[in-house]
Amino acid sequence: MSRDDPKDAVDTVAFINGQPYQIESGESILQFATRNQFSIPTLCDDSRLEAFGACRVCSVDVALKADGPTKVMASCHTPISEGMHIQTDSPSIQKLRKNIVELVLTDHPLDCLTCEVNGNCELQDVAADVGIRNVRYKNSANHGHYEKDTSHPYMRSDLSKCINCYRCVRACDEIQGEFVLGIEGRGFASKIIKGGNLSFDESACVSCGACAQTCPTSAISDVFESKSVQAEEKIRTICSYCGVGCNLEVSVKNNEVLSIRAPNDAEVNQGHTCLKGRYAWRFYNHPDRLTSPLIKKNGEFVEASWEEAYSLIESKLTQLKQSYGGDSIAGISSARCTNEENYLMQKLLRAVINTNNIDCCARVCHSPTAYGMQQSFGTGAATNSIKDIEHTGFIMVIGANPTSAHPVTGAKIKQKLMKGLPSIVIDPVRTEVARFATYHLQLRPGTNVALLNMMSYFIIEAGLVDQEFVEQRCEDWNGFKQSILDLDINQLEAITGVEQDLVKQAAIAYAKADRAMSFHGLGVTEHSQGSRTVMNIANLAMMTGNIGRVGVGVNPLRGQNNVQGAADMGCQPHQGAGYLPVDIAENQKKYEVHYGVAMPTTDGLKIPQMFNAAIDGSLKALWVLGEDIAQTDPNQQHVLQALENLDFLIVQEIFMSETAKLADIVLPGSSFLEKSGTFTNGERRIQAVNAAVKPLQGCKTDGQILADMIERMSGKPQSAEPDELLKEISQIVPFFAGVKWDELGQQGKQWPVLDDGLGTDILHTTEFRRGKGKFHYYPWQETQEMLDNSHAFPFILTTSRILEHYNAATMTRRTGNGELVDKDILLINPKDAEQKNINNHDQVKLQSHRGEIEMLAELSEKVKPGVLFTTFHFPELMVNRLTGDVCDTETMCPEYKVVAVDVKRV
Amino acid sequence: MSENLTQLSARKGLEENLFEQIVKAKGDPIRLKDIAKDYKVGEANIYGASTAYDFIQGDNANKKAYVCNGSSCLCAGTQDSVKQQLKRHFQEDEIGHVTCLGRCHENSSFQLAGENFSGDDINNLTEIINQQSDSSESYHVECRLEKPLLTELIEDVDQYYQLINQLAKQFDRSQLLQQVVDSGLRGRGGAGFPTGFKWQSCANEKSQEKYIVCNADEGDPGAFSDRYLLEERPHAVLFGMLVAGYLAGAQWGVLYIRDEYPDSVSLIQAAIEEFESLEILKELNFNFQFKIVRGAGAYICGEETALLRSIEGQRPMVSVRPPFPTVKGLFGKPTILNNVETFAAIHWILENSAGQYANLGNGRSTGSKLLSLDSCFKRPGIYEIAMGETLASVIEQAGGFVKPIKALHIGGPLGGLVPVEKFDQLTVDFESFAEHGFLLGHGSIIGIPESQSIAEYIEHLFEFTEVESCGKCFPCRIGSVRGKEMFAQAIKGENLLDKELVEDLLQTMEQGSLCALGGGVPLPVKNALQYFMPEMQHLFDTKSLQKISVAEV
Repeated sequence: MSRDDPKDAVDTVAFINGQPYQIESGESILQFATRNQFSIPTLCDDSRLEAFGACRVCSVDVALKADGPTKVMASCHTPISEGMHIQTDSPSIQKLRKNIVELVLTDHPLDCLTCEVNGNCELQDVAADVGIRNVRYKNSANHGHYEKDTSHPYMRSDLSKCINCYRCVRACDEIQGEFVLGIEGRGFASKIIKGGNLSFDESACVSCGACAQTCPTSAISDVFESKSVQAEEKIRTICSYCGVGCNLEVSVKNNEVLSIRAPNDAEVNQGHTCLKGRYAWRFYNHPDRLTSPLIKKNGEFVEASWEEAYSLIESKLTQLKQSYGGDSIAGISSARCTNEENYLMQKLLRAVINTNNIDCCARVCHSPTAYGMQQSFGTGAATNSIKDIEHTGFIMVIGANPTSAHPVTGAKIKQKLMKGLPSIVIDPVRTEVARFATYHLQLRPGTNVALLNMMSYFIIEAGLVDQEFVEQRCEDWNGFKQSILDLDINQLEAITGVEQDLVKQAAIAYAKADRAMSFHGLGVTEHSQGSRTVMNIANLAMMTGNIGRVGVGVNPLRGQNNVQGAADMGCQPHQGAGYLPVDIAENQKKYEVHYGVAMPTTDGLKIPQMFNAAIDGSLKALWVLGEDIAQTDPNQQHVLQALENLDFLIVQEIFMSETAKLADIVLPGSSFLEKSGTFTNGERRIQAVNAAVKPLQGCKTDGQILADMIERMSGKPQSAEPDELLKEISQIVPFFAGVKWDELGQQGKQWPVLDDGLGTDILHTTEFRRGKGKFHYYPWQETQEMLDNSHAFPFILTTSRILEHYNAATMTRRTGNGELVDKDILLINPKDAEQKNINNHDQVKLQSHRGEIEMLAELSEKVKPGVLFTTFHFPELMVNRLTGDVCDTETMCPEYKVVAVDVKRV
Repeated sequence: MSENLTQLSARKGLEENLFEQIVKAKGDPIRLKDIAKDYKVGEANIYGASTAYDFIQGDNANKKAYVCNGSSCLCAGTQDSVKQQLKRHFQEDEIGHVTCLGRCHENSSFQLAGENFSGDDINNLTEIINQQSDSSESYHVECRLEKPLLTELIEDVDQYYQLINQLAKQFDRSQLLQQVVDSGLRGRGGAGFPTGFKWQSCANEKSQEKYIVCNADEGDPGAFSDRYLLEERPHAVLFGMLVAGYLAGAQWGVLYIRDEYPDSVSLIQAAIEEFESLEILKELNFNFQFKIVRGAGAYICGEETALLRSIEGQRPMVSVRPPFPTVKGLFGKPTILNNVETFAAIHWILENSAGQYANLGNGRSTGSKLLSLDSCFKRPGIYEIAMGETLASVIEQAGGFVKPIKALHIGGPLGGLVPVEKFDQLTVDFESFAEHGFLLGHGSIIGIPESQSIAEYIEHLFEFTEVESCGKCFPCRIGSVRGKEMFAQAIKGENLLDKELVEDLLQTMEQGSLCALGGGVPLPVKNALQYFMPEMQHLFDTKSLQKISVAEV
């Protein structure tokens, strides 16, 4: 529940079985009846899909007045209107339903007892509901001869069980927007097809499982038989991949996960999720899991007891702290872990070790968002909610590939774009959303600031500024405006490589929209001008009045499941839990009251600074929680050198990652399926994570490990239970004030959650968090990477994720996703390829100033000439041998997105 | 339907029409793939649409010759011989089938190299194959009105079209719309929906983009009156569409003409070119562009929403209503969709007055109606009559029958089977037919000869429905097959019919089907059970006969 929940009240009634009920506008008879607790059977309806009207089982009698003549109408697609009298269950309707279902059964194998979905089959339920006892038709033609499709690592079909309700086809279209499923032929011969009549494996299926989820029988299912009823219990939890925060329902038996589905009632994902959330969970009990603490002795890991491990850590850290001070120790927390675990991690560093040297992977992804939005608005988080996509009139996607990296949100955006919602995609790569956008501004990587300044220019020039909003709610406008008007547009056009007319049209369309919503990703932040780009996006939103209402705003697509939460909980070197700056005495006092110890008073080290400090010897020990920095951080040689130079490296992990290999001590943590707590998604929604199974034998939850160490080193009791920890957090973090574990419910709450326990959908509705929204002007600056290296290395390499894998792919490689995609591939424009004598699928060598790697090249029009694209999922390749040290000026977020390279055929 | 597919197809609209691309690709997988990429849709959508028609790909596509298997040719019993003759020149697998070429007045219909033939043509096969002979088709056209309406000869085309300019000067749009309303004109496709009301509804929609669509997918076996208008009175059709466009504020007029009518396509195309050359609209500040979209062999495209989906390049499947096409039609935009004959009446109404039109006819059925009389009549052909004329006088006018018949199948495959004893009770209008448990439909009349087994005819109707069902709604998709199977098994003596089950099936299809195809086929079957039970009694299990009274249905 949240603060503003508008409901259209229409003061009209219609009647169901003689009783009057209020109508809500736009309802169908089926929705009207369902809402009023009348059950009407149906086979083809899925409330998430457009009414289709195929099965006719939902037919009801409709009269326009009491005892008036009735007409049989399908309730799913007939609107309810005032004064209608609906009979949901008259004898003739019962007969009709029974006769329809009988027809269905003439073309359905009657093998329920051996069927995968026995006990969880909608056809079975409806047949029971209508009371079928026999099928009277004789020698009926049927489709029992259709063969099963077992080609795919995840998806399964057995069309002999298909009842042609087309829910799968509609889900593939209306939910995922992929059009993989279709229908062949006509009438009785019509049949579900994948692509141009291919197998699942040959088709372009993205394995989202929406078809399996909606199929009322076992005609489409998955390798996990996720619709079977074998599970002892179903646990609702939150996905641990991206920041969308999909709700999952985990089927468990004998402390083992059987399958995962997505609950249809989840506000975040409405029964949808991607192949990572739904199918890529087999990593959790993979044989590679670490199941014992490991201590490196003479260069080899030796298994150790927890007591041994704890005592070694305690003595080593105590000794280092005494010898070199708390600032000789640092921690890197994990956005994959819960809020409570992140909270404990920073508490350990700050309140026990006495240092602000705590950072998290937000550093390498959205730290510029947090910083930039704080500068402009006062809050470093999404201003609006994902559900606002339903109400917006314009979508702008900047530097994000949501259909790959945030698939459920990506699918929602794509749905709107396919239907022609006006839109801009600003991206050097022709992404899936760019294909459907009204304007794709395909700029040269590293020129976001130039392009967004061009947009500001054209909006001002066209007189489309929302003067009232700017005057009443913002500051520093005039100086900003003048700086923008002084720009040389021709020069910016040359810099960005995007025609100014196109930018002008796009800018005007954005400004003219009633409600425009922007989304951005790491293509904005991972640049030398990352924070400034974020402030530029904020400028555009403010000058067009697109803040503080439904369907507008600046909405970062947070990369990891809990990267929002990690920063909220204080895993940043300059701000403690709740974003209180650590160098302010008042804040220090506040923390001291809670922790009963003196707090460190100066900003700590950011991750890149930690590496430098390790190399220069001032940083002695590093505790890394669930991050593979050796694989994922830029300039790998530099990172390895830093880690090797440490006196003591503690890695808390579930697998022997590249970083763990270098550790002095490895602690076996737990996956999300084994722990309880909360994750905060990209729209500030705090959701309950519930352990589906116990931690693997030998492992502990990460929170338990941290709590154990806090207890040991501070001598004070420390709970690791989410309810206790949330209580503690709610006293420290202002926007968590009303958060209680027991009250989170199934949908969670969006922060700020004030004392009254209500959440907040939209920020800055009447005033900005910082008072007035602040305009910032920054001129575009060429990145040092290009200035230094572009002569010797004339191509620009930019990197991103693919749908099937997640970051270092530590988890996804250990699932069926590894079968779907098993390598990183370089995309190169055919013109460049021709010039470089590279053919499709040639092995090529990529070189940068830092190093070189070899990989397969694929010719693709998705990139412009001069730009190369790849992913960074496979450690065999180590793309980060190429990346450099250039960082965002304000936050030190590394510039992954612009690397000067050269490419040649091997 | 898919809103996404509608909108993605709309991006290229009518200029680069998706459906036309699909038809042209002829099922070639590589081309289908390219089309999918080009239109940003799935291969499954393109392939799926491609397989929903008879003449794009699949078993019945790309044949050298097609034999008509429509109801009239079936009843006339001419087609075995036609096929035998064709086999002398073609291999069995070079000969396909087509359901009704609209040559019902003389039967023996077939298609060769995209041209239609009938009657004596089959005897000139060698000449036809050597391109030394054209079709010798001609049919009787008779108007039973004092002043021809739909059959009126258009002598001066320019003058004919000038009516729109004159009216635009004299009246505003709402006055002209009122004329259409006042005429009482009702849709001639079969459903009889008031045309003026439909047009007003579309005109009231606020949209920059609207469409006028002419349903020229005259698929009812036995009907050829639309073909007559398309080929002999094309300007009357175009004029009606033009006025609809002018009144509703539409920019495009699309004629969806069935593939089986090649001459209609070429004659309408010629008429469009003639219209364009006259530059009628230059005074009007109104732009209107005609386009022909040629079907590809799917009866269901005669259903308005399936037709719209077909133009969009989607599978021709029936959509739920509401929203109605006038609100959300072609490419999601407000659309007026009418039958050929409906549009063709507009010029006469506006030239002569709504009152004169309304004075013709009978009660709520106003104006005139074209009837297609098949070869069972002595003078088969097209008859224009005023609504309300007695069926008996039509029969008399056509010279009676050439052979003994036991029923007329009126109004297409979904129309009623009218037994001889009912001929005197019916007047040709929507109400009279409905009251007696029949359907005027589109006005096609096929004679069922005494020699024709009614049970076999029912099997034929179920089979037609099975083959042509879009497959969307369960009662039609499965019910049509079960109906066919039951009658086929009974005729073969394998399983006798269970009256209760037959009745349940008919009721299920009638009440449950999404559109008039599945919902309509029970009507002639029920008529047959009511009027021809004696000849079918032996097909029923006697125990089941005692259980239920057939007459009740």
